[in-house]
Amino acid sequence: MLNKRHSHAHPNMHAKRTDPTTGFFERIGCLDLLTKMSLQASLDRPLALLWIDIDRFKQVNESFGHLGGDMVIAQIARRLRERTAGRAEWCRMGGDEFACLVPDCNLGHAQQLALDLLRGIEEPLPFGDLMLRPSASIGIAILETSEDPFSCLERADRAMSTAKHEGGGRIAISGELVAGRLGILLAREELEIENQLHIALESGGLNLHYQPIVGFDGHIEAVEALMRCTADGNIISPAKFIPVAEKTGLIIRLGEWSLLAGANLAHSLDVAGHPTKVAINVSRAQLASLKFSQALYAALLCSNARPELIELELTESLFMDVSDTVQKNLHAALHAGVKLAIDDFGTGYSCLSNLKDLPATKLKLDRAFVIVLPHDRRAFSVIKAMAQLGRELGMTVVAEGIEEQEQLDSLREAGVDAIQGYFHARPMPEETLLQWLQTRRTP
Amino acid sequence: MTTPAADPSVEVMLESSLQDIGIPPRPAILDRIRSEIKKEEPDFNRLSHIISTDVSLSASLIKTANSPYFGNRNRVRSVREALMILGLDVASRAIAGIILRKIFPDSLHLERFWDASARIARLSGWLAQRVTQNKLRSDDAYTFGLFRDCGIPLLLARFPGYDNVLTEANEETNLSFTAVEETQVPTNHAMVGCMLAQSWWLPEEICLAIRHHHDVSIIELNSTNPPLSSRYMIAAAQFAEYLVQQHSELSHTQEWPKLGAACLRLLNISEAEVENIKSEAIPVLEEED
Repeated sequence: MLNKRHSHAHPNMHAKRTDPTTGFFERIGCLDLLTKMSLQASLDRPLALLWIDIDRFKQVNESFGHLGGDMVIAQIARRLRERTAGRAEWCRMGGDEFACLVPDCNLGHAQQLALDLLRGIEEPLPFGDLMLRPSASIGIAILETSEDPFSCLERADRAMSTAKHEGGGRIAISGELVAGRLGILLAREELEIENQLHIALESGGLNLHYQPIVGFDGHIEAVEALMRCTADGNIISPAKFIPVAEKTGLIIRLGEWSLLAGANLAHSLDVAGHPTKVAINVSRAQLASLKFSQALYAALLCSNARPELIELELTESLFMDVSDTVQKNLHAALHAGVKLAIDDFGTGYSCLSNLKDLPATKLKLDRAFVIVLPHDRRAFSVIKAMAQLGRELGMTVVAEGIEEQEQLDSLREAGVDAIQGYFHARPMPEETLLQWLQTRRTP
Repeated sequence: MTTPAADPSVEVMLESSLQDIGIPPRPAILDRIRSEIKKEEPDFNRLSHIISTDVSLSASLIKTANSPYFGNRNRVRSVREALMILGLDVASRAIAGIILRKIFPDSLHLERFWDASARIARLSGWLAQRVTQNKLRSDDAYTFGLFRDCGIPLLLARFPGYDNVLTEANEETNLSFTAVEETQVPTNHAMVGCMLAQSWWLPEEICLAIRHHHDVSIIELNSTNPPLSSRYMIAAAQFAEYLVQQHSELSHTQEWPKLGAACLRLLNISEAEVENIKSEAIPVLEEED
C-alpha cells in the first residue's frame, strides 16, 4: 500500500526523475505529477488512475535473476507506453508495479484502456530461448470531486489487490458511487461483454426472437420473447450477457427495453388479426427495482397493447420474495391486468403449500424433466402429478425443450396442456413469426 | 403472495383502465423511413417518395431544413434537397419531431406545450454549441428538447386528472417531479417518454436522457451509465428551460431550484457567466417558430 507520508514532500525537492529501466517516472515523481494533474481534473474531465501489478513476477526474478527481471520489465514497459501513446503519464511504483495517470478519462474509457493494456501485457514475450506469458492485475479508480488524489491512488492500489486476489489476469474497479454497481468485480471477458452490451443498446443490436408455445389442440398458447444481442457483427449468447447485465445493473434497462419491444409485438399481432400472448422474462433484479411497475405501465401505454396479451415469466422463488418492492411490483403487474407465469418449475425451491396462493395462470415445467423422456418413467410420473396439480389450480401447464415426437407423445399422455421447443419451431425474428403464424392459420 | 395496500389515489386513477387512446405506438411512416435508412445504400429518391406521400410532413421538413438553426445559406425547395442538406440521421429525427407534434388529439389543447418544447429544443441546440465545447451534438440537444416531455401528452390523454398532477408537480419544491407524479399515476412522464422515444427509434442516449431528466443524482454521476452525453442533454435543456422562463416571465416551475446548481456545475458555467449567456440567448429566444 502507499505510504501517505510521501505526499508531504516538498514538490521541488524531487524534480521528476525517471527510472532507467522503464523510462517511467519514479515513485516520488509520480506523487508530484499526481498533485498537478488532480488540479487540472474536473467533473467533465475526470482523472483516471490505473494501478498495474505483474502477476507472479517473483518467479521471473527467481528464475532469471534481477537483471533478467529488469529486461522483462523493460519490454513490458515499452508495450504499456506504446498503448497509451502520449495520452497518459507512467510511473514505476515498485519492482513490478506501475501507475498510469490518464487525464480526461471517464470510467468507460479507463475500462477500455485497462483491457487494452492487459492484452498488451499478455502477448507472449520472447526471453532467450523461452516464450514467457506474462499477465497482470489492474485496479482502476476515478478521482472523485474533492477527493485527495493520494487516497484515490490508494483506492486504485486496493482495487488491484482485489483483482489479484481473484486470481490475477483481471481488472477491478474501485468502489464506484453508482447504485447497484458498488464494488463490482468484472473479469476480462465480462468487461468485454459489458462493453458490447452498451454498443448493442446504442446501435440497435438488441433484438427479440420469439418461440411459439403450442397447445395439443393446435392453438398458439403464447410466444416467448428471447433476447438476442449483436455487437460489431458478433452474436453474444444470452447465457453470457444476461449474467453480466445482472452484475452491472444494465439488466434494468435491457428489461425495460424488452418489455416495450414485447408489448409492441403483442399490439401489432393483435392489429394484424393474430391476437397472441407474448411472454416476457423478468429477472430478479428487475422485479426488485423501484421503477419496474412504472416501466410496465409505460410500456403498456406506449404500445397500446392489451394487458391480457402480456405474460411475465418469473421464477418461482420470486413469488416468495418477501421484500416490499417485489411484492408491490407483483401487485402492480396484476393490477395492470398482465398475466403471470411460473418459469422453470419443479427443480428449484418448490414449496407446494405456497403454490395454491400464487397469482400465476401458467406453470412452466423445468426442461430437466423433459430431456429424460420418454424413458424415465419416474420423471413421467412427476410430470403427470404436476400437470394434474396445475390443472386443479386453474393453471395452464407447459413443458419446454421438446425436440422429438416421443417426448411429445409422452407429455400428451401426462396431461400437459402445451409445449414449447424445436419440435414445433425455433426462436425466430418478428418477420418470420408473422409468416409462421399466417401459414399455421391458413387452412 | 401477500397483497400490500395500494395508494388509494393510484387506485382511483387506475379506474380509467388501460384502453386505447388513439395514438399509434409507432407511426407507420417512421417504420418505412427506418427500413430504408437502415439499408447499406439508402435510396434518397425512394425516401423522398415515402416522405412526400404526407404533404404536411414534407412541408414541415422543408421548413426545418431552411430554419436559421441549421445554418444553411441556400434555401431548399424539395424533400430530396432537405434530406441532402440535413443528412439521413438528422432528417429522420427531425421527421420524428414533426410527427410527434401532430399525432395527439386536438382536444388536448397542447399548442402552448409544443411551442414551449420547440423553444427549449432550439435553445438547447444553441447552448450545445455555446457552452459544451462540442461534447454534445447540437442536433441531439435539439431532438432531446423536443422529446423530453413527450410523455406528458400521453398521460394527459390517458388519465383525466393528470393536468392537476402536473400543477402539483410544478409547484413541488422538495420531492422530484416524477416522485409527485408517482403518488397519483402508476408511472411517470419521464419513463413514458423514454419508451415512446425507444419505440420511435431514437438513439439510446436520448432515451436514457429522457428517462432520467428529473433525476438530480444522475447529472453529476461519475459513471458511464447513463453516458456523459445524456447528462449534458439533461443539463443543457434544463438550462434552456430556465432561460425561456426568465425571458417570458411565465410559468415558473421548481425544476431550476432543484436541478440548476448541478446542471451549471456539469456545464462548467459560473453564476457570472449565466448573465452573459442570458443576453446572448435573446435573439435565439425571439426567433419565430
